[in-house]
Amino acid sequence: MGLAALLAACGPASGSSAVGTTPVNGGTATYAMEPSFNATYIFPFDNANDFTVSNIDDFQYLLYRPLYWFGTGAEPYLNTGLSLAKLPQYSGQKVTINLKGSYRWSNGEQVSAQDVVFWLNMMKAEAAQNWGGFVPGGIPTDITNVQATGPDTVTMDIKGKYSEDWFTNNELSQITPMPLAWDRTASGKSDCHQVVADCRAVYNYLNQQAQNVAGYGSSAIWGVVDGPWRVKSLNSQGYLSLVINNRYSGSLPPNHISQFVEVPFTSEQAEYNVLQDPANAQKIDVGYLPTVDAPVPPAGANVGANPPSLTGYQLSVLYAWQLSYFPYNFTNNTGQGAIMRQLYFRQAFQSLVDQEGVIEGPLHGYGKPTIGPVGDYPVTSYLSPTLRRLGDQWPLDPSSAQALLRDNGWSPSASGVDVCTRAGTVRGDCGAGIKAGTPLKFTLLYATGIDWMESAVKELASNASLVGIDITAQGEPIGNVISAVFYCAPNCGNWQMAYWGSWTFSPDYLPTGDTLFQSGSVNNGGNYDVPKNNRLIEATLTARTPSEFSSAMYTWEDWLANQLPVVYEPDAPTLLETISNLHIGVQNSALSITPEDWYYLK
Amino acid sequence: MTAYLARRALQAIVVVVLVTLIVFLLVRLAPGGARAAVLGSGQSGSPFLLQYLSWLGRVAHGDLGFSLIRNQSVGSLLAASLPRTLALTVTSTVIALAVAIPAGILQAARRGSAADHVLRGLTLVFYGLPSFVLGSVLILFFAVDRHYFGAEGPQAAGFTGVIADWHDLTLPVLTLSLMTIAIFARYMRSAAVDSLAQDYVEAARARGAGDRRVLIRHVLRNSLIPVVTLVGLSVPQIVGGALIVESLFNIQGVGWEIWQAALGHDVAVTLGFSLVIGVAAVVGSLMADIGYALLDPRVRHSLT
Repeated sequence: MGLAALLAACGPASGSSAVGTTPVNGGTATYAMEPSFNATYIFPFDNANDFTVSNIDDFQYLLYRPLYWFGTGAEPYLNTGLSLAKLPQYSGQKVTINLKGSYRWSNGEQVSAQDVVFWLNMMKAEAAQNWGGFVPGGIPTDITNVQATGPDTVTMDIKGKYSEDWFTNNELSQITPMPLAWDRTASGKSDCHQVVADCRAVYNYLNQQAQNVAGYGSSAIWGVVDGPWRVKSLNSQGYLSLVINNRYSGSLPPNHISQFVEVPFTSEQAEYNVLQDPANAQKIDVGYLPTVDAPVPPAGANVGANPPSLTGYQLSVLYAWQLSYFPYNFTNNTGQGAIMRQLYFRQAFQSLVDQEGVIEGPLHGYGKPTIGPVGDYPVTSYLSPTLRRLGDQWPLDPSSAQALLRDNGWSPSASGVDVCTRAGTVRGDCGAGIKAGTPLKFTLLYATGIDWMESAVKELASNASLVGIDITAQGEPIGNVISAVFYCAPNCGNWQMAYWGSWTFSPDYLPTGDTLFQSGSVNNGGNYDVPKNNRLIEATLTARTPSEFSSAMYTWEDWLANQLPVVYEPDAPTLLETISNLHIGVQNSALSITPEDWYYLK
Repeated sequence: MTAYLARRALQAIVVVVLVTLIVFLLVRLAPGGARAAVLGSGQSGSPFLLQYLSWLGRVAHGDLGFSLIRNQSVGSLLAASLPRTLALTVTSTVIALAVAIPAGILQAARRGSAADHVLRGLTLVFYGLPSFVLGSVLILFFAVDRHYFGAEGPQAAGFTGVIADWHDLTLPVLTLSLMTIAIFARYMRSAAVDSLAQDYVEAARARGAGDRRVLIRHVLRNSLIPVVTLVGLSVPQIVGGALIVESLFNIQGVGWEIWQAALGHDVAVTLGFSLVIGVAAVVGSLMADIGYALLDPRVRHSLT
């Protein structure tokens, strides 16, 4: 899980005009959504299509609180204050969840143990088909004997031995209690909260209700909320208006905004145009600055000045809890797979990625280098002290890359592309499966549409050409790149390298590696398959105490960081622009937002 | 004339049927979930013709399927985006015609004059300028710097709502209009220059017709034929939207929607919108044919 969004730590940037210091109650905050992303689905049981930040963190969590809330300050840690339940209790294989008992739905009913069981039963019935976060072997298949043993108490047994931290952060983190008012079909009340077999019909009914987007504001179903907000309206364009839930049973600050509006945009440029025009009918209170328009911050500073046209805004940076990388296809069967399986090649290749250069250039000084399999900014307790100390161990170094290739049997050819001249498997040879005469030629699929990523790819191809590696950079829409990797059957051996962006650790907030690097994991796109890695990951999953867990994590990531199972790329932040008289506090890297805490100053 | 129109209409209907057949075949090639979202569940086992007729019946009633990505019916997305696009493209086309036709006639009548050179230069500039550059310049000057107009397009719903918001509609319309004027004016000038060299113009002058009469009665009508062709061919664009302008001005129009659908593999939206644009292309072609016949009696007589 995560690394942090550092807002306050970065400090405010330039551009603020004189504003008052007295908080006021009420008002509307307008929030600019990322291009092409907006709220589309209200039922907090999202299938793969709807499993997005714009649906979950920016919409559903404001209405329907998750059992456990992640995001404490800038870090992605579990936030007990905003969670509906106390910390889970573990006793052997038994887990006990104690709800706080103080939260109520807007229809007056208590947020109860039955609501948790309702969600878990829905998972048992529908997870494989309709839960976007489903991982084979994960929740709900790794639990049994789920029971509401009291109004506030849920117990369950874990199948297998898992670390408590992992189970809380990656499994229980997915639960969003559902009100019993939703346990129904078109013909009346149902019993999904007690009988799993009833859940299919309930799911179909709720999913059908969720398809009436225009009716969200007046729906008797979706109007039952336990969060601080309720829907006023959502239109087909994606304009979402939320108003304060006057029956919210949690605590609210004495001064806060009373309406929260999310505004969709067709492009970053369109959003920036509106941001720059204070006379525009639709004024943005919290938006974002396209990196390409950001002035470079001074040396050593995390945040720089605003462009002159944004005088009424404060600039801050938000790093998501994510890992930026792209995979090699280790099961490639067109000849390159054998090359990419060689550690010396991966070391040489990583030495051609100029992370600092990309940060200083296309990212205009905003970004952090990725240094291993765990996100490294903001710094969390999950990051090993060794990696933190060493930082980027493979800075741009074409000479070193070339030496590695020469030392392992590769020589220049007349075409300028290196070829294998010492086939074999002993030290100094090219390695297993590589025939003599094999050229160092690769195709890198990459997602178009993000300027800095396209620049990074072209720079990598240019650097590679210096040492005799020929990279054909093939730009495709992001959907095509992801399809080429994850929906490739029966041609999964075709692709070689594929770069679509990053992995956000949510709702798997603990970055233990089972999601991205374990053999057979759905999201291990490159099919990295090394027994030692699996053993080390297993040790992180089964550690029973916090110290055992930390030790296992550090051992695993220190080892895997040097194995370079993927190509590490820079981590790019969102550049947040907040209107100067609106206080939004520190935004967290788990990307959950709490606009009920925002207030205007006069 | 009636027989000519009937024949053209019949041809158009045949082409529309072919368009629907092609789109239907593409739907059948789509993955399971997307196919079911368009064809409806329980259709996979039916014979081809039955499936096609059933789908066509739903399309005729406005049911173009359901977008699993957008969680909305394709019809509702079209109903939301088409008015915005039409308000933008129809307005800009009308303005472009209103400016380009007189400008082209003026250039032809004053061929080689300073006015002709200036207008040729301007049309060349706007013809060659990418729309995102022109739009960005207009936004920076008229919205960000001067605040005369809005930096984004109208966000109101419905055609009238969009049209009524002239403050926000002006810049996207101006961007599209300037580019369209450049195209239409160049065609108009060229056609008018040709017309002015025709014998019937000489004859009219010999009969004592003044410049104004010659230009309006003899030159204008004949010079409009290539412009009518252009307008007819523009109909798919008018319906299909202007992707770059829509993207720049935050207008979720048809062009932007279909582009997003293509990127997101949203089969239902891609095919539904393609069908509508395809039909618009046929209708545009039919309108152009009718326009020829109205403008040029030779067309009517040679084809009847």
